[in-house]
Amino acid sequence: MGTGRGKWVLVACFCLGTSAIAQDEAPAHTAASSGQQQEDSRAIRTREFLGLGRIPDAKMAAEGAKIFGPTCGFCHGADARGGSGPDLLRSSVVLDDNQGELIGQTVRNGRPAKGMPAFPSLSDEQLRDIAEYLHQQVELTANRGTYKLLNIVTGNPQAGEAYFNGEGKCNTCHSATGDLAHIGSKMKPPELQQAFLYPAAADRSSPPKVTVTLPDGSHLEGTLKHLDDFYVSLDDAQGNYHSIPLQKGVAVKVEDQLEFHRQMLDKYTNQQMHDLTAYLVTLK
Amino acid sequence: MKSFLACLLAVLPAVSLAQGLQPQQLLQKEPTNTWPTYNGDYSGRRFSPLTQIQTGNVHRLALSWMYRVRIPSGPMRGVGEPDIKCTPLMVNGILYFTVPDHVFALDAHTGQKLWQYDWVDKGGHLVGNRGLGMYGDWLYFLAPDGWFISLEAKTGKERWRQKVADEKMQYFTTGAPMVVGHHVIVGVGGDAIDVPGYLEARDPVTGQLQWRWNSEPSKGEPGSETWPDENAMRHGGGMTWLPGTYDPELNLLYWGTGNANPVMAGQGRKGADLWTCSIVALNADSGKLVWYFQGSPHDTHDWDNTETPVLFDAKIDGKPRKLLAQAARNGYFFVLDRTNGESIVSKPYVPLNWSKGLDARGEPVPDPQKQPTVDGNLLTINGAGGTNWMPPSYSPQTELFYVNAFRGYSVTYLTDTSEHPEGYGGSIHTLWTQHVLEALDYKTGNVKWSHAYSTAMGTNGVGLGGPGVLTTGGGLLFSGDYFGNFIAFNSANGEILWHFSMLHSLGNGPETYTLDGRQYVVAGGGDTLYVFALNE
Repeated sequence: MGTGRGKWVLVACFCLGTSAIAQDEAPAHTAASSGQQQEDSRAIRTREFLGLGRIPDAKMAAEGAKIFGPTCGFCHGADARGGSGPDLLRSSVVLDDNQGELIGQTVRNGRPAKGMPAFPSLSDEQLRDIAEYLHQQVELTANRGTYKLLNIVTGNPQAGEAYFNGEGKCNTCHSATGDLAHIGSKMKPPELQQAFLYPAAADRSSPPKVTVTLPDGSHLEGTLKHLDDFYVSLDDAQGNYHSIPLQKGVAVKVEDQLEFHRQMLDKYTNQQMHDLTAYLVTLK
Repeated sequence: MKSFLACLLAVLPAVSLAQGLQPQQLLQKEPTNTWPTYNGDYSGRRFSPLTQIQTGNVHRLALSWMYRVRIPSGPMRGVGEPDIKCTPLMVNGILYFTVPDHVFALDAHTGQKLWQYDWVDKGGHLVGNRGLGMYGDWLYFLAPDGWFISLEAKTGKERWRQKVADEKMQYFTTGAPMVVGHHVIVGVGGDAIDVPGYLEARDPVTGQLQWRWNSEPSKGEPGSETWPDENAMRHGGGMTWLPGTYDPELNLLYWGTGNANPVMAGQGRKGADLWTCSIVALNADSGKLVWYFQGSPHDTHDWDNTETPVLFDAKIDGKPRKLLAQAARNGYFFVLDRTNGESIVSKPYVPLNWSKGLDARGEPVPDPQKQPTVDGNLLTINGAGGTNWMPPSYSPQTELFYVNAFRGYSVTYLTDTSEHPEGYGGSIHTLWTQHVLEALDYKTGNVKWSHAYSTAMGTNGVGLGGPGVLTTGGGLLFSGDYFGNFIAFNSANGEILWHFSMLHSLGNGPETYTLDGRQYVVAGGGDTLYVFALNE
């Protein structure tokens, strides 16, 4: 076993009718809402992974923010990240607190020894809201699943268009009025940027095509199902499944639609990437 | 060495070591009938001289038994099914291994379970657990929420527990405690809210603190000049979450430290940020820093430098040297003189473009143009770095260093632009990945041979899991791909000699030992432990 196994190779296919960006028709206009759901579920999953406990109540936190700003912000900063007073996002009173039991007591009684005044007039409800605001601020910092990218569209769309049709050779396979029409409405800028750089496996328009040459010289062609060092498997045009051990004399050729995208990753400058992003975003 | 022996002599009469693991056994190089620590021995080489299984007969390697983890609580918080990332201990015919929150003892002959210890955590990350430390008849385990727990090896009964880290501050504990003389070395993890890293030595009898080394200097101490202010330094990260290695003759512990905090937004911590992203050499009895080498000065890419510092003696320019080698997460292969930290080789083992070259100490110089930006910065290197925690191996037989590497590209974003950012402050998106097993020449860092795995089925989303490497005197290298295959290679040239298709991909460092004269190879994949031996 194991000697003289067949070889597999990846063959770039530069003539793709479809591409990763092009195939986004699937959940077209639901993209915005499903994107939101994805963001929420990412935040919840990350929170669970980090062991951050329950999710802060957004309504209470919004009420708390209104009180926190004028009451506490002067010393602790409006975002609670500290000023003349300590950074509360890194405070054990906040991190050990669950529903205001520690924070509320501290705010109501103050910490005279450390120069923090008491706030005896705040109601229980107000103290709970302040606590919730602090937990939310912790959440937005500690839970990286909540992070949102800022404005990534900083490039020059005209330069991006020139690159698309010129040096980048994007127009060899793609068209602004064809497969990429309205792409700027279908995808948010970060998704668009990441998809043109290199699409996620799940975003592929179709699985790679494979040709397997057998020791007797005959060929099998179809859609690649699996390829490792030991087996290749595929579905042929009739839908029949084939699994072929990679023994001596077996050759595997995979036509990878995305090889050109991968090669471009060695070529883009940041400026070209940003210009191209800016251009694609204009394809509303 | 003197102090180490003194410690041993001092403690031997006090505890009963009749049946368990004698601390002296840990001084044994390349043990064959036991696997008594995370790395097998203190060197971190993960090389076994055993030859019963070798290139000529490995095709007869077959499954002896397997054991599937069952935990009472159902799917684990935030991670789902249990994933074995530990390297089990095998002592006196018993295998001791872990998943987060759980410890198991199995009869190594049959896989029959002897006992199971279940912890109910109150937080921490369940991302993995690297295993156990053992001293006499006692085991040491880190629960994810900062509890350092000692168990009776015979029964799994808890002896005591000590709190070593605060999970409310987002510390978590995944390491395998490391027994060195009369110390149990315990590291910590956690980088969500900018806490400082540290490493502790605890008393094996009581669990009490013996010494603590902090990943950041105190105000005014050497190293503090690499931070802008005390506040940045106190929140600077530098976690110690993977087991280190130890040279008994020099009495030095070698430990890797994690990324600086805030993780990706470095504008509030301008400077090199010592001793984050470093290899540090500490006196094992005092915890005092003897030397350091910083793999990623001012890291802004989450590239923990915690990967195993592997120790071996070999020739450089014809002269025998005491060496330390590390394939760092930032994509560089480092070879140092482990007596003093002097750089011998610093060379990328995967394509990368984040560095402008090396400084006079052999440390990479980060390119300011390649740090995370709001609109995205394209990098040549995988988002997770060139490798991760997966144990590498060094074979004195081939004089090659083996690492499972990632080639790739990523784009990095800055999301916190404030003057004093907190938390991660950014994100990394991996664009393309190829897994490749590399064999590196320690003298040059050149790739002697490599085995790249197929990318045809898609390559995004490399998680933290991954295959470790074991090499043996039988000319073999055991590792795995990401398709579930556990594979034996010829360690000299990378030829594949054998494989076994597991239910999950290899997720730990494989190990080997003899039991009743028979050589076994153990691998963990997902929730299942697989034990192999030659068909008779």
